[in-house]
Amino acid sequence: MRGVFYPRLALDGIRKNRQMYLPYVLTCIGMVTLYYILMFLSGSEYILALAGGASVGSVMSMGAWLCAVFCCIFLFYTNSFLIRRRKKEFGLYNILGMGKRSISRILVWETLILFLLSLALGLAAGIALSKLFELVLARVMRGEVNFSVTVSKNAVINSCTVFGAVFLLLLLNSVRQVRFSSAAALLRGENVGEKPPRGNWLIGLVGVLLLGVGYRYAVVTENPLSALLLFFVAAAAVIVGTYMVMISGSVFFCRVLKRKKSFYYNPRRFVSISQMVYRMKRNGAGLASICILATMVLVMLSATSCLYFGGRDALYARYPREVNIDLTTDGGDIMESDSALDLRGKIEQAAALCGGRTDDMFFYRAAEISGIIKNGVVETDPKTLDNAAFISALENLSLINFMPLEDYNAITGKNETLQNGQALICKQGNTPDIDGRLSFNGGGSFEIKKRVESFGVNGMTAMAGIPATILIVPNLRDAVSGLDALADYNGNRMMTFSVHCGFDTGLPDDARRPVYNSVRDFCDGIKDGSSVTRVYFSVREDGQREFYGILGGFYYVGILLSLLFIAAAVLIIYYKQISEGYEDRARFEIMQKVGMTKKEIRRSINSQILTVFFLPLLLACVHLGFCFPMLRRLLMLFNINNLPLSAAVTVICLAAFALFYAAAYKLTSNAYYKIVSGAESR
Amino acid sequence: MSILEVTNLKKVYAARFGGSRVEALKNVSFTVEKGEYAVIMGESGSGKTTLLNLLAALDRPTSGEIVLDGMQLSRVKDSQAASFRRDNLGFVFQEFNLLDTFTLEDNIYLPLVLAGRSLQEMSERLMPIALRLGIKGILKKYPYEVSGGQKQRAAVARALITNPKIILADEPTGALDSRSSDELLALFEDANAQGHTLLMVTHSVKAASSAGRVLFIKDGEVFHQLYRGNDSRERFYARISDAMTMLFTGGESI
Repeated sequence: MRGVFYPRLALDGIRKNRQMYLPYVLTCIGMVTLYYILMFLSGSEYILALAGGASVGSVMSMGAWLCAVFCCIFLFYTNSFLIRRRKKEFGLYNILGMGKRSISRILVWETLILFLLSLALGLAAGIALSKLFELVLARVMRGEVNFSVTVSKNAVINSCTVFGAVFLLLLLNSVRQVRFSSAAALLRGENVGEKPPRGNWLIGLVGVLLLGVGYRYAVVTENPLSALLLFFVAAAAVIVGTYMVMISGSVFFCRVLKRKKSFYYNPRRFVSISQMVYRMKRNGAGLASICILATMVLVMLSATSCLYFGGRDALYARYPREVNIDLTTDGGDIMESDSALDLRGKIEQAAALCGGRTDDMFFYRAAEISGIIKNGVVETDPKTLDNAAFISALENLSLINFMPLEDYNAITGKNETLQNGQALICKQGNTPDIDGRLSFNGGGSFEIKKRVESFGVNGMTAMAGIPATILIVPNLRDAVSGLDALADYNGNRMMTFSVHCGFDTGLPDDARRPVYNSVRDFCDGIKDGSSVTRVYFSVREDGQREFYGILGGFYYVGILLSLLFIAAAVLIIYYKQISEGYEDRARFEIMQKVGMTKKEIRRSINSQILTVFFLPLLLACVHLGFCFPMLRRLLMLFNINNLPLSAAVTVICLAAFALFYAAAYKLTSNAYYKIVSGAESR
Repeated sequence: MSILEVTNLKKVYAARFGGSRVEALKNVSFTVEKGEYAVIMGESGSGKTTLLNLLAALDRPTSGEIVLDGMQLSRVKDSQAASFRRDNLGFVFQEFNLLDTFTLEDNIYLPLVLAGRSLQEMSERLMPIALRLGIKGILKKYPYEVSGGQKQRAAVARALITNPKIILADEPTGALDSRSSDELLALFEDANAQGHTLLMVTHSVKAASSAGRVLFIKDGEVFHQLYRGNDSRERFYARISDAMTMLFTGGESI
């Protein structure tokens, strides 16, 4: 008899608070499912075997850890709502003579039931769905389809341990709350309104400053590499800033609203404003949480979508043509037009092997060196390069390519002319704008005649991930005569002389491979008896798999985690409304007795929920707006530099999210109304 | 002139699946004159609260008719019930029913705000009432910051401020200490003297003795009534007390 008493009480408690526990259990199940799937995909042999599978695997396991950390935080948050609801019940048990130890036993049973339920259903759903997700992922990664179903033992064990630990923490927290409060305190509901915090303006000011700092970093930071580092600083500043601004803003807002008598004493706003004032701090914190989750969803969704849909750009930047040949030479005679012509002839022979489409072939020579550009001066001294502070050096680090004018004119079909000592400049990625004159510390100085558009066939610099500055000069040998002698610590020449070329074959898919192989063999032969020291042969088709593997994996994890965060945001809103609904119920009952019609109630609720919903969305949009420039720079790391596409993708993501959000709004507002008006239908 | 006429009122509560039926009110008829201070007395379960709910249009009678100042309550649509209450009735409850999200002032304003009155009109109406009830100094406080007696006075102010046709009070002294009760009853007599019509439900003899007439309700029917006439309060108290003893300790006839 004693044995079943506590489990029965626990089960009863859950059943009686169905409205609170059902969404909670559903969330737990959803989280276990998602965690299992992510864990499963990260270890899936089948995915790992695909091109780019290894990187996708590590992205997935990173996603799984992120998911676990988030679940922990989030379940703590929602659990606090549950505990608040149950405190009264426990207080009553306590007064009726049930010791705190016994109450803790009920809690243990309750947690155990919830844990087993979520774990069992979550794993079942996870195992059932994992194959589907695997297939979709394989499709996104453009891999072969395979229909064998497997269960990952590792993922199951991992889910059990992680969620076991989370539930244990939840239990300890609940027990702590029951242990350390008196029966009277447990029984008493919170009927006292929140007082405005001291120094509210100070909190607000600090919050605004933090937001300002975050926004500034996001907008001002120029270089993508340092953007990656500063992204986290900016994100942290914005998160903390959002909380502070929302809390103090809500307090301030409420005060102002109340002070404006003609606005306050209006049938539509009177009740909702007073209720907002009553919970001003809690309101602010809730709104901030929703806002941050919304921002996370928006940023993640738009970033990964931009990556995926801009993937073609990245691929074409890295592989300008179907077949790309990059040659390294020892300098010397390649700088002369004659030997260049000779080399070009050989590449044309290679192109002829594939059916000879030479009209879209490109060919140019480049002398490459890296340096720090500051105030129109390029620092190339290796000692200075090393000594410069890491971040500030990264800020201005650039590859500098010298390219002969004749090659430039040949590629672009233009007819530019340059005097000796003049140069055209072309930027790839984010480097400082240079006007007037550019001088090299190692030697040489150029008058910049004008800026020209990127000609977009520089796969090697695209791969390097750092911005490049291309100087187009009338004569290559003259231009680099000073820099040619520079050597690094090991005595190696700092300048490299390369030839970049590529062409399309126009062959059908299945006929390409053998032709590629013979072209490769031919190109390897170029080395013999020439100044070419190394031949780097790359085919777009090979890159394509790798690219879509990685970008598709990112996109996929982005969508999964967005779903998680959306669910979390909706649930926070739901709990906020439900728990406030129970608190407000008695109030609305009184108001009806005093003469508030149902229509007025509905209207007052609408105006209240509307702010709860759309204020965070609005601020999230502002966050996204400021984040966008940084996002673009990060995308540039992947050579995606397509503003209209990125903007369009971001706007679509925003619209999709807003739609989803509006549906959640409708749902919660109904739930709230039902609770609040439930009392009247007596 | 009678302001409230109740004729043959009957209320039957049925369990959800047919089954047992409870007759809360069998056959209740009475009238309240304009400017009268009447009290309905009865034990727990006698149907007092049911009657009050019907009078307040919070519930609908099974049969019978209630007419308030010429208006038939059965004609008031459900959607209009709340605004009907707001415009015609004032309430004072046992548990005060003040909203803890509002200051006392805003609580008192609530029905007027809902009716869309201007702030100027509201404060013009409040000032004399607040002075009379002695709550002028605590108007800016929240309900959880003041005593029970002060809360109930604010609730009375909320009932008075709309100038209702009748004030319904449901056990208004039930949650108050004896001193606060006395003060509240004095306020009721005062309000009555100013011309307000009051109908109070109570089982406190002391509260009842402040009224002009007492109706006794038992088992869903009006059983008996007493008029104060020119009796002193003490004398009326004794009469009510005697009647109670007769009525509720088993005496079937009076």
